[in-house]
Amino acid sequence: MTNPYYAKTDIGPPNFWNMLPQVIKDNYGNWLYHEKVKPGVLKHVGETGDELFTVRVGSPRLLSIETLRWFADIADKYCDGHLRFTSRHNVEFLLADGTKVDALVDELEAAGWPVGGTGKSLKNLIHTQGWIHCHSAATDASGTVKAVMDDLYDYFKKDDLPAKLKISMACCLNMCGAVHCSDIAFVGVHRKIPTIDDNGVANGCEIPNVVASCPTGAIRPNPKAKSVTINEEKCMYCGNCYSVCPSLSIMDPENDGIAIFVGGKVSNTRKGPEFSKLVIPFIPNEPPRWDSLVAAIRNLVEIWVKNAKKGERYGEWIERIGWEKFFEVANLPFTDKHIDDFTFSVPTFRTTTQFKFTDKK
Amino acid sequence: MTEKKRPLLDELKKGKWPSFVTEMEKSAETKPVVNSLLNLLERSFEEKRVHWKHGGIVGVRGYGGGVIGRYCDLPEEYPEIAEFHTIRVNQPSGWFYDSKAIRTLCDVWEKHGSGLTNMHGATGDAILLGTTTPHLQDCFNDLSDAGFDLGGSGSNLRTPSACCGPARCEYACFDTLDLCHNITNSYQDELHRPMWPYKFKIKISGCPNDCTSSIARADLSIIGTWRDSIRVNQEAVAEYVDNGLPIKSAVLDYCPTKCISFDKEKKEMNIDNENCTRCMHCISVMPKALRVGKEKGATLLLGGKATIVQSAFLSWVIKPFIKLDKEDNYAELKEIMEKIWEWWDENAKVRERVGELIYRKGMGEFLKATDLEPVPQMVHHPRTNPYFFWYPEDFAAEKEAKDANKEVAGSEVSE
Amino acid sequence: MADFTPEELRAKILEYLGKKDKAKNRDIATALDTNKKEVDKMVNEMAKEGILEFLYLGTSYVKLKDKE
Repeated sequence: MTNPYYAKTDIGPPNFWNMLPQVIKDNYGNWLYHEKVKPGVLKHVGETGDELFTVRVGSPRLLSIETLRWFADIADKYCDGHLRFTSRHNVEFLLADGTKVDALVDELEAAGWPVGGTGKSLKNLIHTQGWIHCHSAATDASGTVKAVMDDLYDYFKKDDLPAKLKISMACCLNMCGAVHCSDIAFVGVHRKIPTIDDNGVANGCEIPNVVASCPTGAIRPNPKAKSVTINEEKCMYCGNCYSVCPSLSIMDPENDGIAIFVGGKVSNTRKGPEFSKLVIPFIPNEPPRWDSLVAAIRNLVEIWVKNAKKGERYGEWIERIGWEKFFEVANLPFTDKHIDDFTFSVPTFRTTTQFKFTDKK
Repeated sequence: MTEKKRPLLDELKKGKWPSFVTEMEKSAETKPVVNSLLNLLERSFEEKRVHWKHGGIVGVRGYGGGVIGRYCDLPEEYPEIAEFHTIRVNQPSGWFYDSKAIRTLCDVWEKHGSGLTNMHGATGDAILLGTTTPHLQDCFNDLSDAGFDLGGSGSNLRTPSACCGPARCEYACFDTLDLCHNITNSYQDELHRPMWPYKFKIKISGCPNDCTSSIARADLSIIGTWRDSIRVNQEAVAEYVDNGLPIKSAVLDYCPTKCISFDKEKKEMNIDNENCTRCMHCISVMPKALRVGKEKGATLLLGGKATIVQSAFLSWVIKPFIKLDKEDNYAELKEIMEKIWEWWDENAKVRERVGELIYRKGMGEFLKATDLEPVPQMVHHPRTNPYFFWYPEDFAAEKEAKDANKEVAGSEVSE
Repeated sequence: MADFTPEELRAKILEYLGKKDKAKNRDIATALDTNKKEVDKMVNEMAKEGILEFLYLGTSYVKLKDKE
C-alpha cells in the first residue's frame, strides 16, 4: 500500500539562525580574537567584550539516538540547549558562562567523552563507513579508527605537538572525505583484478560506461559474452568499474588491506595545500585491532614529534629534510610502488643532481 | 532470540576512545535490528569482507537523492537487515543545532529506523543509518513536517556545507552560514533531482585556513579572503613579545613571502601587504594582534576531487576575488555557478567531474564558456610548451586593432 | 531542434520511457531532439507528481514509476 500522505518537498534545511545561542547572535560577525583556555576548550571574545566558550568532544561519528539525547540533555544543562558538530565529527558545546566550563568538562569526561582536539593536537580522525554499511570497502573504517585513536588517545588530549595533526581514513579509493590531503592518511586498497560475472555484466551493466570507467584502459568489450575483459597487465585495482557494475567484484579478503600516505594538508597556511604521498604500500587487514596498522601509524607520528621543528606540519617537516631522508628516519623500505606510474608521474621524478645520500652508514 | 557471542567486536569496546560498538549496543537494547547488524559486522570481522550490495531503486516521492539503497548480501541469514537504507538529512549551516532539533531527529529516527546515526557524513548531512523501504516515505513525511529536508546523492548538487564562519570565528571574511543556506535553498531542484553527468560539491570556508577542506574535495571551493591590509594592533604585538613569543622563529621565518619585518626597539610589526599572499600563518599565531583586512570577499576555485578516475585534483583559482553580498542575493556568484553547470552539463561524459572536463577540454574553452577572464592568479606559472590554440576571433581582433591603428595614423597625417 | 508545448513534451517523455528500462535526461533530450533544460524541468515536475522516479547505478537515471 502506498501512503496517501506526501509531506511538503524542497523546504530546505532548518535555518541555522534559529539554532544559535544568544551570545553568538549578539556578536555575529564581530568576534575580535580567540584564546586556547586548555586542550579542548576555546574562548572567543567579541568586540563587545562578550565571551563564548567552546568545549570540544571527540566522537566516533557513529552515534546512537540514546547518546544524542544525552548530548541534548548536557546542552540543556550547561549551554541553554546549544551545541554544534564540526567537519571532523567532533561535538562542540557552546556556552557564554565561563564558570560552568569545568563542570561541563568533568561531566563529559566522567561519561567517557574525551575533551580535546584543539590547537596543536591530534584532531579527531575523519573516516568513512567501512564494513558497517558500505558495499565497496576494502577494509573496515570504524574498527581501524577506534584502534588507532585508542593508541594515540593522549595526543588528542594534549596540545603540545609540533603542529596540528590530521589523520584521515577512507575504506576504498572512492575516498569519501578529504583523505588524500591529510598529515597521515590510511586507505583501503585492493591488489587483485576484479572477477567478471559475464551473465551479470550482460544483464545489468552498460558496457560503454564500464569501459569508460577504467582509468588505465584495461577494460575492453567482450561482444561474444556481451560482457567485458580485463587486461591484467593494465589494471591498477581502483575498483571504479565495480562502482559502475556490481558484476565486477573486486573484493578479496586475503589480499585487500591498507596503504598509508603522509604529508598532505588542505589549509592555505605557509606553502599551501598538498596531497599526501605514499609511504607504506600495504598493511594486511588484521581485525579486530589492526596491530600492524596501529604500530605503523604510531611510528610515523613519533618520528615527526621527535624531529619536526615547532610549527612544522608533517609535510613541512619532510620537505625540509627531504623525502630520501624521511625514508631513512622512518626506517621504511622504498620500493617500486613508491615511484608513480599513473597519469601525472613524470613531474614527480627528481630532475636535479641535488639530493642527499642515504645509503652510506 | 539467543544472544550471539561477538568476541572480535568485544575487543573494540576496550580502550579509551569512545567505542562505536558500545554505541551500537546501546541502540540494540531497544532495536533488535541493530543486534543483527552487530552479528553481521562480527562476521565481516571474521571473514575480512563486506556483506553489503550496491544500492537499488529506493527513494521518496519526487526526490532522486537523499536516500541510499543498501541491501545485505545474505538476506536469508540476516532477514532483519536485508534492507538497511541510509537517509541523508540536510544539516543546518555550520552544523549548529539546539537540543530541540536534536531530539526531533532522534524521535523521528526512533520511530522509523535503527536509531543509529552519523553526525555527520563526509558530505555534511546528518546520516540516518538503516531502515526499510516501507518506512522511507513516512520517515520523510515526519522529517519534513518537523522542518527537516533531505540532502543530495547521485548525479546532482550535493549538500553544500560551510564552516562556522561569523558565528564563532574572527577570521570569517563573509557570512559562510548565510551563503550556504541561501545556495541550498536556491537550488533545491539541483539538490534533489539528479540531472547532471555526475555529482557537484560546493564547500564554503570563511578564510584561507579552509576548515571545510573545500580545496581538496569540492568541485567549487568558496574560500574567504581580503584584498587590503592585515589589521595590526601594535600594543598586542608588544604584549605577545613581552610574554615570550619568539616572533622571528614562530612568525617571520614561516612567512612564505617574507613580507613581515619586526622593529625590536619599538616592538612593532610591519607588513608589506602588497606582497602578502594572505596565508593566515601570522594571524593564526597572533590572533589578538592581527586581524584579516576590511575589504573582504572570497576566492573561487574549481575542480577539486579525489583520485578516481584520472587523478586527484586540488581546486584551482578561477576568480581571484568576488564580493559576496547578501543584499544582491549573491547574484554574481550564482551567475558564474550557473554558467559552469551549463557548460559542464552540455559537455561532460557520464561520471565526469567538472575538473576532469576542464582537463580534457582545456581552461581556454572553460573560460570562454563562463566569461571568466584569464589572469596570472590562475596558474603557478605559464605554460612551458609551445602548443597553443589560435581561434578565428584572435585574428579578427588582430585585424581590428591593426585597422584602428591605421585610422589613427591616417588622421594624424591629415591634421 | 524541436519545440514542444509542455503537454507534447510530457507525452513524448512518457512514450520514450515506456520503451526503455531507464534513461538519462540527456538521452531523452537527444532522442526527442529538444532542449535538455526543458526536459530537466518536465522530468522534475513529473517526478514531483510521482509519475517518474530516479535510480542510481554509477550515475543517476530516470524511469517510469513501478515499471520493471
